[in-house]
Amino acid sequence: MEVNIRVAGAAGQGVETTGDLLVEAFAGMGIHVFSTQSYMSRIRGGINWYDVRIADEELFSGREKAEVLVALTPEALEWLRGEVAEGGLILFNGSDGAGVVGIEFEKVAKEVGGSAIMGNVVAGAAVLTALGYEVGPLEEQLRERFGKKGEAVVEGNVKCARKGAELAWEQVGKVKGPPGGGAPRGICSGNEAVGLAAATAGVKFVSSYPMTPSTGVFTFLAKVADEYGIVVEQAEDEIAAVNMVCGATYAGVPAMTTTSGGGFALMVEGVSLAGMLELPAFIFLGQRPGPATGLPTRTGQQDLKFALNAGHGEFPRAIYAPGTPEQAYDLTRRGLETAHKFQTPVILMSDQFLADVRKNCAGLDTSYRPIDRHLLENPPADYVRYAVTEDGVSPRAAPGSGAFVVVDSDEHTEDGHMTEDLEARVRLQDKRMRKLEGMRAEALPPEWYGPEGAEEVLVAWGSTYGPCREAVDRLNADGGSAAMVHFAQVWPLEAEAVRETLGKGRRVTVVEGNATGQFASVLREVGALGECELMLRYDGRPFTGEEIARRMRS
Amino acid sequence: MREKHFFDRDVAWCPGCGNFAILKTFDKALEAAGIDRKKLVLVSGIGQAAKLPHYTQANVFNGLHGRALPAAVGIKLANHELEVVITSGDGDMYGEGGNHFLHNVRRNVGVKAFVHNNQVYGLTKGQASPTSEMGFVTKVQTHGVLSPPFNPLAVAIVEDCSFVARSFAGDMEHLEEMMVAALQHKGGFALLDILQPCPTFNKQNTFKWYRDRVRRIDDSHDPFDRAKALELASKWADEIPIGIVYRHERPSFESLLPVLKQGALVGSRAERPGAAF
Repeated sequence: MEVNIRVAGAAGQGVETTGDLLVEAFAGMGIHVFSTQSYMSRIRGGINWYDVRIADEELFSGREKAEVLVALTPEALEWLRGEVAEGGLILFNGSDGAGVVGIEFEKVAKEVGGSAIMGNVVAGAAVLTALGYEVGPLEEQLRERFGKKGEAVVEGNVKCARKGAELAWEQVGKVKGPPGGGAPRGICSGNEAVGLAAATAGVKFVSSYPMTPSTGVFTFLAKVADEYGIVVEQAEDEIAAVNMVCGATYAGVPAMTTTSGGGFALMVEGVSLAGMLELPAFIFLGQRPGPATGLPTRTGQQDLKFALNAGHGEFPRAIYAPGTPEQAYDLTRRGLETAHKFQTPVILMSDQFLADVRKNCAGLDTSYRPIDRHLLENPPADYVRYAVTEDGVSPRAAPGSGAFVVVDSDEHTEDGHMTEDLEARVRLQDKRMRKLEGMRAEALPPEWYGPEGAEEVLVAWGSTYGPCREAVDRLNADGGSAAMVHFAQVWPLEAEAVRETLGKGRRVTVVEGNATGQFASVLREVGALGECELMLRYDGRPFTGEEIARRMRS
Repeated sequence: MREKHFFDRDVAWCPGCGNFAILKTFDKALEAAGIDRKKLVLVSGIGQAAKLPHYTQANVFNGLHGRALPAAVGIKLANHELEVVITSGDGDMYGEGGNHFLHNVRRNVGVKAFVHNNQVYGLTKGQASPTSEMGFVTKVQTHGVLSPPFNPLAVAIVEDCSFVARSFAGDMEHLEEMMVAALQHKGGFALLDILQPCPTFNKQNTFKWYRDRVRRIDDSHDPFDRAKALELASKWADEIPIGIVYRHERPSFESLLPVLKQGALVGSRAERPGAAF
C-alpha cells in the first residue's frame, strides 16, 4: 500500500517547506517515506516539485505518477495534472474546477490570522486529512519547530493546520494513506548523512566553494562546526579549497572539501598533489549533468571516468559511491579511514538525486568517534617521510611533532627532498603504487540483491541502487527472475569475483545515469564484464523502479 | 642527517643569483627571531624561489605552482602553533597565485610571505612576470611587455594588509631586519617583497639598477598612515623605497575562530557531544 504526493509550484513559494513538513509528519507517525526533488536553477519562478512517497514498507525510489497533486500555481497544475494517477486527488491553490479541489492556501492562512507563508501548513494539513490521518501529530511538530519564535507564531500555524484539515474533510477516503507505526522515525538526506559521518569521524577542517548539489554537505558541516570543533572556510575558488585541504592534512588534521563536476575540474591538480605528497585528502563529489555548467540542479552519473582519471600522473585512489543515505554515512567514514590508512586521495561520489533524497534512517550514530589518523606520536630523530616499505605505506608524522616533515610535489627521495635521480623516481613511484594492492584487498565487494540463481542481473553503482532494487522486486513480483549487483565502491575493483558472478550465462544490464555506459566500460577494462546491455538515462532526472522494470520488458 | 647549511645540497640556482643572499639572510633572520626550526614550516610553490626550503632545514611543504598560499593557510589553521613562512616568487605569488594573494590579504591568516621579486620568470627561462616593466622584451613578449606591472604593495595596502614591507637582496642587513620584523609580526598576514636581480634572464633590472634606486625609508614615516604608505608604494622609476611601508592593526583570522580558542585543531581529538540531529 502506497501513495505518492507531489507538491508543485514556483521557486520561492514554499514547495520545499511543504514537502519537508509532510516528510517530517509522516516519519513522525512511523510511516515509510522517500522524497525526491525536481527543481530549476532559479531562486524565483519556474516549476519545482517535491515528491513525498509513503508506504507500509521501506522505499528506495521515486515514482512517475502521483496519487495526490498539490498545485500551487496554474502552471504547475497544467504541467503536472497529466501525471496524476487515475482516481487521484488534486488540491489547487485557487478555485474549484473540473476534477480539482480548490483551496486558496495563502488566503486561508491569512483569514485565520496567520501569514501568507503559513499557506504551506494549510496545504500540508489538507493533504494529511485527505489521506485519512489526524493532524494532531502535525500540530505537535509545529509547536516544536516554531516554539522558539513565540506563542503567536505557534498559534498561527496551529490554526492554519486546523483550517487546512477542515477544508479537506470532504476529500477523506478518496486516496487512503498507509498505516503508520513500523518505520524508523528519524529522517536523513543523502547530503546530511555525509556531513554527519564526517563530523563524527573527526573531520576538523572543511574548505569548499559552494556548488549545487554538494552545498548541502558544506552547510551541514558549517551548522555543526562549533559543536564538533570544525573549522569551516569558504575558499576563494576550488583550487584554494583543495590546496587548503592538502595543507591541513599535511599538518595532521582530517580534512575534506565538497564540490561538483565543474569545481572538481578546478581541483584536479590538487588531487594529483595529494597523490604525490601522499595526503589523506577526502573529496565529496556531488554529480550533476555536464558538460560545462550543464543542468545545475539536475542529476546524473557522468563523472565516474573523470574522477577515476582526475589528476596528471599515476597514483592510487579509492572511489566510493553510496546508494542510500545510510550507505552515504557508512562510506564517508570508510572513505576517511581508507584515506588515512593508505595516505592517498579518496573521492565519495554522490549526485543531486541522492543528495536531496530524504528517507527514514534507523540509528545513524551521532556519537563522536574519531578515526585513526595513523600518525606517529613520537617520530625518531632520523625520521624520513617517505620510507620505502613493503606495502608502500610510509609511517606518517605531522610537522611540529619533533621530526622534520618534508614533502615535495617534485619527485623526491625518501627524505622528501626533490630529486632527479631516476632510480629514486622508480623506487618511490613503485612504493606509491604498491598501496593500491592493499586498497584492492580491502575493497568492498558488490552487494547482491535478489535470488541467487536470477537469470537477469541489473548492475548498478551509486545512487541507482534504490531504483534498481525496486525494479528487481517489481520484475520478480511479475514472475521474473531478476537480481541486482550494486557497487558502493567503484575503485579499486576486485575483478575476479565480479567476473565469476556476472559470467554465468545471465542477461546482464548495466544501469547508469550517463550517455556512454561509463561503469560498464570500467568493468570491461578490468576484465570483470563481457557481453552486456546498457540502460542509460541522461535527461537530468533520476531513474525510477517502475521505469527500469518497464524498460527491461520492452 | 643533513646540516642546516645549504652548500651540501646540489643547488639549482645560477651563480650570482640573488637567492643565495636571500637564503643566507633568511638563516640568520631565523636565529635572530628565535624561531624553533622544528616548529617552522616553509611552504612554497614552483619557481626558483620555491626551491629555497630544500636548501635549509625546516619542515617543508613544496606544493603546486601558485598554490603556496592556500596550502600555508590550511597548515596554519590546522596547527596555529606552527610558524608558517612562504618562500615564493613574483610569478608564483602574483601571477599564478594572484587570486589567492587577493583573498588571503583579506583573510589575514598569520602566515608570512617572502616574495623573491626579480620581475622575470627564471625557471621557464626568461618570460615576463606580472611585475615586469612595460617594454621588457623576451622571447614571448617580442614587442615588449604591453601591460603595466602589478603593484603588490599597493594592492596589499588597499586591502589593509596587516604588514607590508619591501627589501632588497643586495642589502642583507636591511633584508635581515625586515625578515625579523615580519617573523615577529603577530597581527596576521605579512608580505615582504624582496627585490632580487636575475643575472641570467633580466638584463634590465640588474644589481646596479636596483642599487642605484633603493632608498631606505627613514624613521619619519608612520607605517599606520595609509595615504603615505600608498604614496611610498607607488614610487618606482627613480627611487624605490625599502622598509616597512604599511601596518594595520586588525585581528588575525585564526584569533576570530571560536573553535581555535580551545587549542590547535591538530590536537583537538577530545570527546564532543553528538549533534542535535
